[in-house]
Amino acid sequence: MSAQPPATTDALAVLDNGPRDRLAAIADVLIPAAHGMPSAADVLTDDRLAFVLRARPDLIEPLRAALRPELGEDPQRRLDALASEAVNLGALQLVIVAGYYTDKGVRDLIGYPGQMAIEVKSWLYPPYLEEGLIDAVLARGPVWRDPTTGKRAVVEGAPRTYEERTWSTTASTAAEGGNDGDDGA
Amino acid sequence: MANDPADVLIIGAGASGGVVGKRLAEAGFKVVCLEQGDWHDKADYPGIRLDWELQQRKQWATSPNIRQLPQDYPIDDSDSPVAPLMYNAVGGSTLIFAGAWPRALPSDFRVRSLDGVADDWPIDYFELLPYFYRTDRDFGVSGLPGDPAYPPDTEDAPMPPLPIGSAGLKIARAQTKLGWHWWPEFNSINSTPYDGRRPCVQRSTCQSGCNEGAKASTDQTHWPKAIANGARLVTNARVRRIETNADGLATGATWIDREGHEHFQPAEVVVLAANAIGTPRLLLLSASDRHPDGLANSSGLVGKRLMMHPFANVAGLFEEPLMSWQGQFGDLIESLEFYETDEKRGFVRGARWGLAPTGGPINTALPSRAGEQIWGPDHHLHVRSHLGHGANWGLFAEDLPDEANRVELSSTVTDGSGIPAPEIHYSMADNARRMLDFHIERAKESMEAAGAFKIEVDRLMRFSGWHLLGTARMGDDPKTSVLDRWNRAHDVPNLYVVDGSCFVTSSGVNPTSTIVAIALRAADHMIETRFNQQVPA
Repeated sequence: MSAQPPATTDALAVLDNGPRDRLAAIADVLIPAAHGMPSAADVLTDDRLAFVLRARPDLIEPLRAALRPELGEDPQRRLDALASEAVNLGALQLVIVAGYYTDKGVRDLIGYPGQMAIEVKSWLYPPYLEEGLIDAVLARGPVWRDPTTGKRAVVEGAPRTYEERTWSTTASTAAEGGNDGDDGA
Repeated sequence: MANDPADVLIIGAGASGGVVGKRLAEAGFKVVCLEQGDWHDKADYPGIRLDWELQQRKQWATSPNIRQLPQDYPIDDSDSPVAPLMYNAVGGSTLIFAGAWPRALPSDFRVRSLDGVADDWPIDYFELLPYFYRTDRDFGVSGLPGDPAYPPDTEDAPMPPLPIGSAGLKIARAQTKLGWHWWPEFNSINSTPYDGRRPCVQRSTCQSGCNEGAKASTDQTHWPKAIANGARLVTNARVRRIETNADGLATGATWIDREGHEHFQPAEVVVLAANAIGTPRLLLLSASDRHPDGLANSSGLVGKRLMMHPFANVAGLFEEPLMSWQGQFGDLIESLEFYETDEKRGFVRGARWGLAPTGGPINTALPSRAGEQIWGPDHHLHVRSHLGHGANWGLFAEDLPDEANRVELSSTVTDGSGIPAPEIHYSMADNARRMLDFHIERAKESMEAAGAFKIEVDRLMRFSGWHLLGTARMGDDPKTSVLDRWNRAHDVPNLYVVDGSCFVTSSGVNPTSTIVAIALRAADHMIETRFNQQVPA
């Protein structure tokens, strides 16, 4: 690994112009502008790079190693050389991909809004019940293997539809107690 | 305070430790728990932040060898195609587990009798059933009652099922078309407000902690109640060994704090709840003149018979958007169609299928599980075709016990406290390989029936050792088992093991539901036999 300044709280300070240019060249090879999408070289601004390296300071050293001058200035030859350096190559790819896909403009273009909080409407009748998909499963009867016979279980009076199951006298309603939580607001 | 003797010392504050701690504290026992990790604030979990996928690959990785946090210990897994996964904290691996909550099935406890391989358990499904109901209530389980893959229940899950999403519905229709079993998955994730915790919001970041507290983890479901009943939970406390006296009884544990200071916690009873790698590691570390091969190891089986459920992934890609980055990670639906033995298939036992969400854009854009790398202009087409367009069948193969699959102490690797690390030796059996190959083909048929335009297969995923089982098996014969049917060590009458180490066979389902039911049963037995319990003078 080439001599480099020690890790710093300023994530960007870990890359001077040489490595920064090499990073851009690699980014342009891995994720070029195409199919209506921008290139990673254009998206991977100082802000994006700093964001990634602040979240993952452990990537700084392998990223430096992946961008060391000894590997030359041709990006494809650099990638070929890094094929035998899994950690360094992995860090390089992750920095580029993470910088790209945490960019709001890129997310908008691929239709990804992020991991959203979506209310669970447990009171709604599920579509699989509406479509009779559960009835089809129940109609085939028990699936479990009875350990006393070694064969598929036979359960007298097993419900063959979900409606039968709901009104079955063998099943209870929900257990008492426990549901004393807040309203989730 | 640290030296106050305990009635019961629990080592490990995860799933089984939480269950035993809560139950014994409620019963009036003076409980102390030593946990090498710490408490987490759910507001700090990364799932609500932009850097979530970045953190999930390091700080919140499921492998301790990748995280390398101060509370983690390294595991030499170089002799295994499967990497063991765990988390060290109050709540243990329940912080990062998916929350899928299937029970072991009746046949799982009778593998020798039914299929002529491995061993029968000394207990059965029906004996565990009342404990399943109680742990379902304590953890908070959502599910649709009536799954015909199981015997009829007399008590339903406490909450209605979680949604199965567009991907779940698509695959459910395909399974129905094929005439194959499927069912909405039971998850220990709230679908409604429950026990002071909020409902799931489908964010799908379950494996890096649940920001809502909707997924059950014992730091929320059990330890606060145990502490309210007087339990003392000591964090950042790494146990070095269990001590014994001249009578061969456990007297407590020596532990090391984060500053490196050594302490001794005396106790009348010691309960190990440190998972099927941490527990045998501690038993082996506790060797003495009286127990030269490790504590509770007269059978020679401590650390042996490690089982981890070889795991394959079959991903289908669909033209229409499914928004499959959302949804509980615990599983949307499951199938047990091919779970039971059919010898015509060329192997015994079977596998459970669980359909899971597919992850965010960083996971999608990087070289995939199946090894596919697409860079250059087509990278964009790859991401567009994969992100939110996939459905993943995860296939958990039953892992039969093999004494060659084992946990030992490393002679070269130590943890941050200088304690020998565990090393594992594990290979996948031919039976499991044939089993996974069969199930992969059937899962591909399921995806084809659903209309997938492309199917990608990962035939054995390395970072899939979520289910650590079998390294201190229970049984009636002290020559062939470490624990008795009540989880008590045959050799040490005041030592219990309540984690997945006790499993005789692995089943083919996610084991946490079964682990905690067995742990609760063991705790009940400790209470019932408290006046006959042999303790050090």
